[in-house]
Amino acid sequence: MVDCAVCGSRFSKGNYNELASHLIMLAKKSDWSHVSWLNRNITKARTDEAKLSGLLSQYYSLKGKGIKDWIIRDFVHHFRGSNPHPFILAMQSYNVDVLKGYAIEHHHFLKQWIKSCSYVIAKTDFDEVQDYELENIMTELHGYGKDEPSHHELLIRMGESLGLDRKTIIQSKPLPATARAVSIWNDIASQRTWIETMAAMHSLELVANRDLGRYGAKYPYFNPDILSGVQATSEVREFLREGYEADVSHSYVALDIIEKYCTPENLEDIQGSYLLSANAFSDYLEARLERGEMIENKQ
Amino acid sequence: MKTNNEEGCGLCNATWGEYHRDIEGEDMFFCCNICADIFQNMVEEVKKRTGWNTIDRVELHGNYSSGRECTAYSGSNQFKYYFRTYGDGRMMKFEER
Repeated sequence: MVDCAVCGSRFSKGNYNELASHLIMLAKKSDWSHVSWLNRNITKARTDEAKLSGLLSQYYSLKGKGIKDWIIRDFVHHFRGSNPHPFILAMQSYNVDVLKGYAIEHHHFLKQWIKSCSYVIAKTDFDEVQDYELENIMTELHGYGKDEPSHHELLIRMGESLGLDRKTIIQSKPLPATARAVSIWNDIASQRTWIETMAAMHSLELVANRDLGRYGAKYPYFNPDILSGVQATSEVREFLREGYEADVSHSYVALDIIEKYCTPENLEDIQGSYLLSANAFSDYLEARLERGEMIENKQ
Repeated sequence: MKTNNEEGCGLCNATWGEYHRDIEGEDMFFCCNICADIFQNMVEEVKKRTGWNTIDRVELHGNYSSGRECTAYSGSNQFKYYFRTYGDGRMMKFEER
């Protein structure tokens, strides 16, 4: 099935004419989410169905490479290319309020993260997949004792070091954009296959990957000077360093597994689930900024 | 009101969509209602900050991710500013330049 990256509508396999027709119909209604996706991903110039179908076919084409390469290049274009996501731009300098927003909203992301990983485990019998996700759950939320706290614990400590109360983070309600994104990720995990869920979730780890320059990334996840400077608290540095260093290997291992089990039959489903997730991730990253703005304006 | 986006949407110049809205008494084309909301909010903010009654022309340079560097003109007056919005159109930042 070919999925609409915006609303998840599904069309018959390889049929970009149907997807083009769907997008043109919604563009004629000036539906902002579909128009916005067309503008940012395909073209800002109105085209007819045949031409749009060709452009979509090109967009989804692996161009002789694998699904791993396709996901990485698309992710880089969306988040860390020459027009990076506003959150990435905000992270190019040290901003306490942005980091506080990060701490609060990311708590909700991580709670969903382990649910999604658990769905993957429940839906496959492949040992390497289950092992990978088990380890991931431990690293992200449980940790390995006092010496190796979880990513979630490091996140909370970062928030505390910036003046947030642990309870405030844990008892916070997600902003609407975060709640919508979490709902999309939960739907993907509960309703779609394990490999689609893996692609939807582990592709997002690319946001912190230090190795994306060779794929066209123009911006790092954050300004590395934060790690060596004196401005940031040690907890901020520890949290950022953990993600910065760990996620390189993690996201590639997951993408290698996806590539290994990707077939012509499930390719478009994987692409569709990834795109739905990436769209949700973009909104979720905005929620981190919005939370930061809310905190800044309160003071 | 004139903008430098002459081919399409008054805000982003895209030619998708068929959305029109009256801005300052003039029918303007936008690709979607969110671009129209952003443009309308921007015009109101400029008028509030400058005290102008009307704006003749706005030049916009930038995009969603970096925000937009703009100059508004009213008669012989001009006002430079930067703004950025959330994806759903709400104003995130507006700064005089």
